[in-house]
Amino acid sequence: MKKIIVLLVMWHMLVVPAFALDGNELLKKIDRNLNPESFEMYRKLLNIEPDGSKKEFIMYSVKKGKDKIASVFLAPASEKGRSTLRVGENMWLYIPNVGKPLRITSLQSITGGVFNNSDIMQIDYSAEYSCDKVESLEGEYILYLKAKTKAVAYDSVKMWADSKDLLPLKIECHASSGMLIKTLYFKQVKDFGGGVIRPAVTETDSPLYKGYKSIIIFASVKRRDLADEVFTLNYMPKVENLR
Amino acid sequence: MSFRYLLKYRNFDFYTCSFLALSFFLLFYIIFMCTSAEAIDKTSDDLNLEFEIPGVEKKSYEFRLELKSLETIRGLNKDSTLFLQKHPDGHDDKILYKTDLDIKLEARYYAKITRFYGRLKENLAYNDEESWENNLKTEELYVSFQPSPSIGIDAGKKVLKWGKGYAWNPVAFFSRPKDLDDPDLTLEGYYVFSGDFIKSMQGPIKTFALTPVILPVSGNINDEWGSDREILFGGKAYFFAYDTDLDFMFLLGNEINDRIGLSFSKNISTNFEIHGEAAIVFDYTKHLTDKQGKGIEKKYDAKDFLLGIRYLSARDTTYILEYYRNGQGYTEYEIKDYFSFIQAGYDSYINSQNMGDMLAGRMYGSRYYNKQTVMRDYLYLKVSHNEPFDIVYLTPSLTCIYNINDTSGSIAPQITYSPITNLEFDLKTIFLFGEDNTEYGEKLHDYKVVVSLKYYF
Repeated sequence: MKKIIVLLVMWHMLVVPAFALDGNELLKKIDRNLNPESFEMYRKLLNIEPDGSKKEFIMYSVKKGKDKIASVFLAPASEKGRSTLRVGENMWLYIPNVGKPLRITSLQSITGGVFNNSDIMQIDYSAEYSCDKVESLEGEYILYLKAKTKAVAYDSVKMWADSKDLLPLKIECHASSGMLIKTLYFKQVKDFGGGVIRPAVTETDSPLYKGYKSIIIFASVKRRDLADEVFTLNYMPKVENLR
Repeated sequence: MSFRYLLKYRNFDFYTCSFLALSFFLLFYIIFMCTSAEAIDKTSDDLNLEFEIPGVEKKSYEFRLELKSLETIRGLNKDSTLFLQKHPDGHDDKILYKTDLDIKLEARYYAKITRFYGRLKENLAYNDEESWENNLKTEELYVSFQPSPSIGIDAGKKVLKWGKGYAWNPVAFFSRPKDLDDPDLTLEGYYVFSGDFIKSMQGPIKTFALTPVILPVSGNINDEWGSDREILFGGKAYFFAYDTDLDFMFLLGNEINDRIGLSFSKNISTNFEIHGEAAIVFDYTKHLTDKQGKGIEKKYDAKDFLLGIRYLSARDTTYILEYYRNGQGYTEYEIKDYFSFIQAGYDSYINSQNMGDMLAGRMYGSRYYNKQTVMRDYLYLKVSHNEPFDIVYLTPSLTCIYNINDTSGSIAPQITYSPITNLEFDLKTIFLFGEDNTEYGEKLHDYKVVVSLKYYF
């Protein structure tokens, strides 16, 4: 009986701190560890088809604050010069041939593959989701996130995060029906310098795209101060000038 | 070349041409399917994750080359009024062929806050008269100064594409008209001075931007705008507020009709967007002819409108639907008068060899009537779907243009296939439909097949 009471007390000591955790504050810390407040980065996006063939895209991106991100394609030649802008839940695509920005949706994919525009132009999770519940397991937290508005790409998200580094390990994205849309895996934590230590690889697969795989590789992530005017429609043709 | 000679000298009809074009596409697809890599299950753990970042030490110059080869097959509508106008003595062939090679070269040069940009387009065309045509055009050539992200100034030949519409842009005051058969084609610019002054703010209006434009007109520069020397002034004010893009624009000039306009675009939900444009062209003069060829002018303030939606379905099908009201367009009766005049001119030529009315009709046609979207009310629908039946890199689409006034129009199924990076194959067939004395019923051709191959460097 005494052993049972001791065990119960120990279990509470493990569980209660998790219940005392503010999930939203935890989510904000995870966001900041994943990306600095204002930064620039180079990424390679790989789409792998079921037959093994690959398509690669190289992008330069800048992000500021919780919900502003702009990108420009550097390769391949057919995509070079195309830029994207996200401000909150508004997204635009600029194609040099077309000559003006057009609104796009978070569920489309400008590159094809499993990643959609919302994944490629990922803003802070705390900007889009609120944390309903946190569970603490050995070495990791599980955060249950719910979309703040209907404009968000995924209705709910389940995030596994390393409890020591406060970096995401895995994210499951669900529709309002509960259906799993895709899973994101965060791998190969790397020191990018300047205090930026984060996963260098994000891989995704989806039950809706069987046999397809998409991977984003981060080659450089650097803090950088940026003017708000960079994240406007008029600046979209000039994003590459920031490099 | 041997392909077109095969078609031409065997005098194949539309169905045979389309069958051969589709067969060519299928052969192309099968070749790439057979030569694609074997299935390899790779994860990020297996892949090489280091890579060269192109130009991390940014180069001061860049080039980009686009090569495009097209074969265009047109079926003549020998019963149409415009055929009689262009070929009063008839034409031996039922089908016309044209081979084009387009070479587009872009160059950029960076020097601190200054950027130079140029885009040249060379078109080599082999036409049905078995002769080569050559057309070299400078589409854009300008210098840009960007002392800060808030301020930019451009000077030179530049394209200014305003408006939110896909097929039509009544507020594109400083642009040449788009080709409805391919609205995404690059256009040739005009010589302008323009600026971009951007301000981001807190509060409901998150962004305000001002784009002033000066367009000089003289005998050598921008002479499409008129023959007298003058300076046209224009500008656009952009607001981003309440998740809505809103633009106000204007154009003022002495010899040009003053005009004002506005456009907007907003996402109603994650997969549904709405956009619109409206413009007023003050003191617009519409030039018409009656059935006898007597010229008439009607002066009024022309009002143009556009309203459109873009919708992405759960099955990854994109729908673009637009309604366009062309306030400068002709009514059904005005167009019928023009066609009647052409017919009368043709009859006069046949009966008495008198070309007078034929030539007058051609003049009206080239100046006013023989253009795209020449009447008043239109609908545009484009439906496209990515990778149907899991056929990767394949995008079929269907485009319909419908003239509401005379119930004529066109339907264009299209297939785009890009199995290899930087390579794109495209097959498009355009069918026209319409009764006599309708816009599309009287066009020179009643179908067109375009096969193209594009490669980027």
